[in-house]
Amino acid sequence: MDLIHEGKVKKVYQDPESDDRVIIEFTDIMIAGDGKKRVEIEGKGKLACRMTEFLLGFLEGKDIDTHFVRALDGPQFLSRKVEIYPIEVVCRNVAAGSFCQRYGVEKGRVLTSPLVEFFLKDDSFHDSVITEKAITSLGIVTFEVLQFMKSVTLSVNYYLSELFKQEGLSLVDFKLEFGSTKAGHIVVADELSGDTMRVWDDKSKSSDKDVFREGKGGLVKAYTRLVDSLLRAKPEDVLDRTEIIQVVVQPKSGIKNPPGEVTKRALVRLGFDVVEDVRVGKIFNIIIKRPLTSEILTQLKIMNVKLLSNPISEYNEVNLG
Amino acid sequence: MSIAVIRFPGTNNENDVLKALGQIPEANPYLVPSRKGSAGLEDADAVVIPGGFSYGDYLRAGAIASVEVIVEGIRDLAEDGKPILGISNGFQILTEMGLLPGALLPNQTARFICKWVYLKVNETNSIFTENLENAVLRLPVAHAEGNYYCTPEQHVALNDERRIPFRYCDVSGEITVDSNPDGSIENIAGIINQRGNVLGLMPHPERASRGILGSTDGLHVLENFVRATK
Repeated sequence: MDLIHEGKVKKVYQDPESDDRVIIEFTDIMIAGDGKKRVEIEGKGKLACRMTEFLLGFLEGKDIDTHFVRALDGPQFLSRKVEIYPIEVVCRNVAAGSFCQRYGVEKGRVLTSPLVEFFLKDDSFHDSVITEKAITSLGIVTFEVLQFMKSVTLSVNYYLSELFKQEGLSLVDFKLEFGSTKAGHIVVADELSGDTMRVWDDKSKSSDKDVFREGKGGLVKAYTRLVDSLLRAKPEDVLDRTEIIQVVVQPKSGIKNPPGEVTKRALVRLGFDVVEDVRVGKIFNIIIKRPLTSEILTQLKIMNVKLLSNPISEYNEVNLG
Repeated sequence: MSIAVIRFPGTNNENDVLKALGQIPEANPYLVPSRKGSAGLEDADAVVIPGGFSYGDYLRAGAIASVEVIVEGIRDLAEDGKPILGISNGFQILTEMGLLPGALLPNQTARFICKWVYLKVNETNSIFTENLENAVLRLPVAHAEGNYYCTPEQHVALNDERRIPFRYCDVSGEITVDSNPDGSIENIAGIINQRGNVLGLMPHPERASRGILGSTDGLHVLENFVRATK
């Protein structure tokens, strides 16, 4: 098999049977502290691979597009070949790790709502946090792609949290990477395991990489415990989540907008003479009972042109979240 | 000649159209509720989409009706060269379907307009204007979205291809700004498709089809439409 990419802890081989697929192999290497701490832990690769296969398979079952195709023997799985976006998406439910240091917050503080953060995937910059505005201003990804990643990340957060909850575990935070397939579909890529998430039991005991970060030992035992919990969980009991997509339709500039004009006149009549102009458009809340996918984004574009807006006289804009 | 008069939920001019067409000897108009789908158009030699407020004009005037199943049957007939007449909301539906170019935006005055207007007939390659060339017709309009708008390219094509049979004008046939009730580009009141068999018209010919209504000018347009079905 041809090695086409070698990461810090994983290797990517070309699938000899298909150009569009690759084989991802997990090593036993464990890295933490911005590369300062690096060891090999026998059996870790196999366990991380097992978790990834299980969790990506679970997400696929919930209609989230991932790169996962199927499990293989050993610490390997077959996946779609994707171009990885150079940003890491982190979702946090509870304060932990670098977040605590950055904001001086105590570990374990429950956030009022899930927080999605982005990090630049570049070791020379120590994977620094990057704002959404900086991402789009630098043209790393478009606003639409960013919104999409955020929406999918929140869906993943919901489904994983619900699954762990069945086993009395809570999902503290996790990291996702996204990739683009040859067909241009954006999918959840990379791995999803104890290496890329924090999972605590009811006594805030970690079953994840923190065991290693904190130098406690017993990582294989902790990962084995996590895999066993996942195998006991019942994916079918996790209810589908509702997503709301907002489509905003507004009159193009230069197109007369009588509803706006009469509203403006009425506002001025009420004494609000600061009002120079009013343009009235429409908002559609499109409710779907499945996570967003590239396919649904395409459908939304067609919906917009076919019915929701009249392209001759109106602009449309899709807000994913 | 079998003329299908379509009624969408919210259409309210179907009886007027049936009565007006009924006066024309060769015409055999019959009502087709939209729920019948394309099957309701099997025997049709022509189609009229009357005015009203299909689906409450929700979304945009004519938008929801334009994606109904029966619309595919109307499209097929149009492609076969059968005459199709969309009046008022029917015109809006035809543009939303894409059978006619452009869009009918809310009136410039932001008001529903219901009044008698004059129309100047331009010569076209279509039977709809036969024997009416340069005539000035008196017909009523009743609409909130009759402000015809299209892209500059479409506008050029409509003029070059002589596809604007009806323009709002004054009593003497002058096309003036004051005689334009809704703000339409170049006083456009009606347009035809390239082939000349599909006509969209904002004013109501059926409401000017007998003396007691105050005008019979609309009858000429309907007669031309019926003749086109032969």
